[in-house]
Amino acid sequence: MSLQVDLNRVGAKGALAEEADGKWGMVIDQDICTGCQACVAACAMENNLPFVMEEDAGYGRSLHWIRIERFWEGEYPEVKATSFQPMLCQQCGSAPCEPVCPVFASVHSEAQQLNLQVYNRCIGTRYCANNCPYQVRQFNWRDYALLPFHANEAEGGELVFPLHNQFNPDVTVRRRGVMEKCTFCIQRIHSAGDKAKSEGRPVEDGEFTTACAQACPTNAITFGLLDDHESLVSQLAQRQTGYKHLGELNTQPRITYLQGEKGA
Amino acid sequence: MAVTSKYFGSEKAHEEHHEEEHDPREQLMFDPLPRGVMNDMVMESMYATSWKFWVVLGILAFLVATCFFYAWGYMIAEGLHVAGVMRPSYWGVFLVNTVFWIGISHAGTFISAILRVFKAEFRRPFTRAAELMTTFGLIQAGASIFMHLGRVWLAYWMFPIPNERQLWPNFHSPLMWDLLAITTYVLGSTMYLFLPLIPDLAMARDRSTGWRKTFYRILALGFRGTEGEWRHLTTAMNIFAFAIIPVMFSVHTIVSWDFAMAMRPGWSSTVFGPYFVLGALHSGMGAVAIVLFIMRYTMKHMDYFIRKEHFDALGKLMMIVSFAYAYFFFNDYIVQWYGGDAATDNLLHWLEAGPMAWMFFQMVGFNIVLPFLTLWNKRVRTTPWLLALIGLLINVGMYWERYIIVPVMLTINRMPFTWRLYEPRIEVFLTIGTFSMFLLFYMIASRLIPLIPVWEVQEGQMTHSLRKVGKTHVPTISEFE
Amino acid sequence: MSDTTLLALFEDIDPAANGIEKLHEMGVPDDRISVISGVPLNPRMLGRPHPWTNVGRLALGGAVIGFFVGLFLNFGTPLLYPVSVGGQYITPIPPGLIIIFEMTMLFALLSTFLGVFLESYFPNYRPMEYVPQVSDGKIGIFFRVPQDEQQKFTEALNQMGAESVEPHEARQL
Repeated sequence: MSLQVDLNRVGAKGALAEEADGKWGMVIDQDICTGCQACVAACAMENNLPFVMEEDAGYGRSLHWIRIERFWEGEYPEVKATSFQPMLCQQCGSAPCEPVCPVFASVHSEAQQLNLQVYNRCIGTRYCANNCPYQVRQFNWRDYALLPFHANEAEGGELVFPLHNQFNPDVTVRRRGVMEKCTFCIQRIHSAGDKAKSEGRPVEDGEFTTACAQACPTNAITFGLLDDHESLVSQLAQRQTGYKHLGELNTQPRITYLQGEKGA
Repeated sequence: MAVTSKYFGSEKAHEEHHEEEHDPREQLMFDPLPRGVMNDMVMESMYATSWKFWVVLGILAFLVATCFFYAWGYMIAEGLHVAGVMRPSYWGVFLVNTVFWIGISHAGTFISAILRVFKAEFRRPFTRAAELMTTFGLIQAGASIFMHLGRVWLAYWMFPIPNERQLWPNFHSPLMWDLLAITTYVLGSTMYLFLPLIPDLAMARDRSTGWRKTFYRILALGFRGTEGEWRHLTTAMNIFAFAIIPVMFSVHTIVSWDFAMAMRPGWSSTVFGPYFVLGALHSGMGAVAIVLFIMRYTMKHMDYFIRKEHFDALGKLMMIVSFAYAYFFFNDYIVQWYGGDAATDNLLHWLEAGPMAWMFFQMVGFNIVLPFLTLWNKRVRTTPWLLALIGLLINVGMYWERYIIVPVMLTINRMPFTWRLYEPRIEVFLTIGTFSMFLLFYMIASRLIPLIPVWEVQEGQMTHSLRKVGKTHVPTISEFE
Repeated sequence: MSDTTLLALFEDIDPAANGIEKLHEMGVPDDRISVISGVPLNPRMLGRPHPWTNVGRLALGGAVIGFFVGLFLNFGTPLLYPVSVGGQYITPIPPGLIIIFEMTMLFALLSTFLGVFLESYFPNYRPMEYVPQVSDGKIGIFFRVPQDEQQKFTEALNQMGAESVEPHEARQL
């Protein structure tokens, strides 16, 4: 694979400048998010996330690829809730988690313009998680899917895990010692891409969506093709109330958040 | 026309000072003994083991077996959840230990390389003791790095070896620079430990019997002391002394870049390179003081070789290093404090007023205030147990410094929803395990290899003489090279 | 008329230097004399020629090898299997400087160490000419002379202050 460099696009780090908008993107409207956590549940079901149980979740080891962050303003009794903040992997164009992995387990997909996590290459140094300013990377601290608590005892003393029946066959189950994070449901991207390829056309916006966007009851999460200017997601991303989280860090995230008045 | 000078202070004080004119034979270099006698002393210090030695050795071996091997094996089998690491402190005490042990190892190279380059004669008796600290400290640092990996059995994927997947490691990553730098340093310092050891192994070979003789005979490689052999050896030692100094500086700078390259408030600081190197020297010198104190008071005949002058010189070095460390410490914090953004402001507030504030202030107290207040005083410097105690407290302060930098600074990041305090769990045992293993290796080495480079001491004694100048005898050092 | 090896043991540098001068006067050339000592002595102090060493050149050679290894690791391997990470250039220069420096130093140090082994023919466990007194600080001078002149040399060196002058066989160290 030869490397062709267009010197007009080479940036300060010698990096090839991507289109700032990228290919797949998301818009999250914080004004209409109700904080119901349906997206969290749907993501867990879709991507075979194990249940880590109370103690570990309370100690900062929850394995949720999307989380709803809640804050409040003011001192009691004049406390005011702010908007809910769904936080997931921003699929940065210039991802800080990528250059620091010593074994290339966290790499950039040129085709899909996403940040990939290669589970079977990860040796668990967790440098990527430290370097992610959004703290959206999750680590498998133990084989949570094989926790005896989740098991029933069958005949012969063998352990049976009924929760394994709900695993999505399109997605792997990660073992302990491996980092994971939101992949924009890349299994859905690939199957839509395969279907489109077999019909001889490019993937169209709206053909499929991510699990979190699918489950959201208020349609606060919109997913789609950002480089298609007709798509809903790119139109929403142009809104005046749109902003990028920690934009000053120049990570070029693919998710635009909409927030009208503060605390609305 | 004579000018009578008046003495500042009382006449009596001045007379006392005059009487204190030291007997040059107080210094090791001016108190030569026949080489045969010194050889005997060094050999005897290896053979003489009291019951206390075996008791301590047994305890250390037990601690290593349980707190190092068993605890680590348990962690590998169970997964990292038995440790205290979590979001947001993905790196905890493991990295603190790594940085701490690499820090300890820098003192060895400083003493055996930099002091050799600057021809500081006081280094002669304890270069090997310091260099042993380097090798054993780096082993613990390596163990700590491997401990923190999620899938340690695949760690070999970090090595740039051709493989059938045709994959190479990622050289953009500071962890890869770490791997190369620490490998270079551990190999370099082990070789630099071994080269000056060869003539002493030859001496030990000539004076021992039984299994010891076989052991020394094999390791001494047939060294005889011919002119050619000495020439090759001293040339190599000179090359090593000059070459390992930039390696030493680069290693801890690269380790500091594990943190500085990350975009975390408090970590992304451009002064981390020299700050860490000076911190390493600071803790390392303190550790050398502890080791020399233990050597002098527990091993036979060591009071001939390790004298108050060495503690004095070490104390002066510790003082200078503490000044330099304070400079970089202040540099780092004042810049963050003055123009800090919201995230850094949060961090600094948390450090000075949060639950770990006691650690922050103990760190400042032990690392900066304590050396400033004590090491200027010659009586403090020439009291071995006091210098060792100061060294111990400096090491405690430096351990807190690394703890502040790794888990505590990781806690205060840019996403307040994730802030949570780190609690070390099995890391406590693993830390005890690494300390025990270091001490165990050192104790075994003290009885297996001669800790004093006798040929270098004799070489030094041959070059030191007293020359009559005027009415007094003046210490003179000649150069034999 | 076979040659025999004699060993003269001296206590100090001055008598040893005088002894070597005497040997030169009596016609023993430098290549039939070898000196062993317990500390490194400057050969000029004993009136001996300067011994040669290649360790420095081997170190330099190793450094050059290390330089190219570093070049390959940083610039070669990403071109063999390019992976895009974090918007950084595939073959970045700043990390390259680090890698090249470390590999240069590593190979320089390794080749210095191995150079000592190579040049001194270490490890050497065959029987060699040696006396243990040397590690006690004595200076030993081995020299080869015809057997019938042994007495002459023994007397001459004893006069110069030798502790002992004895015939010597190679022995297991």
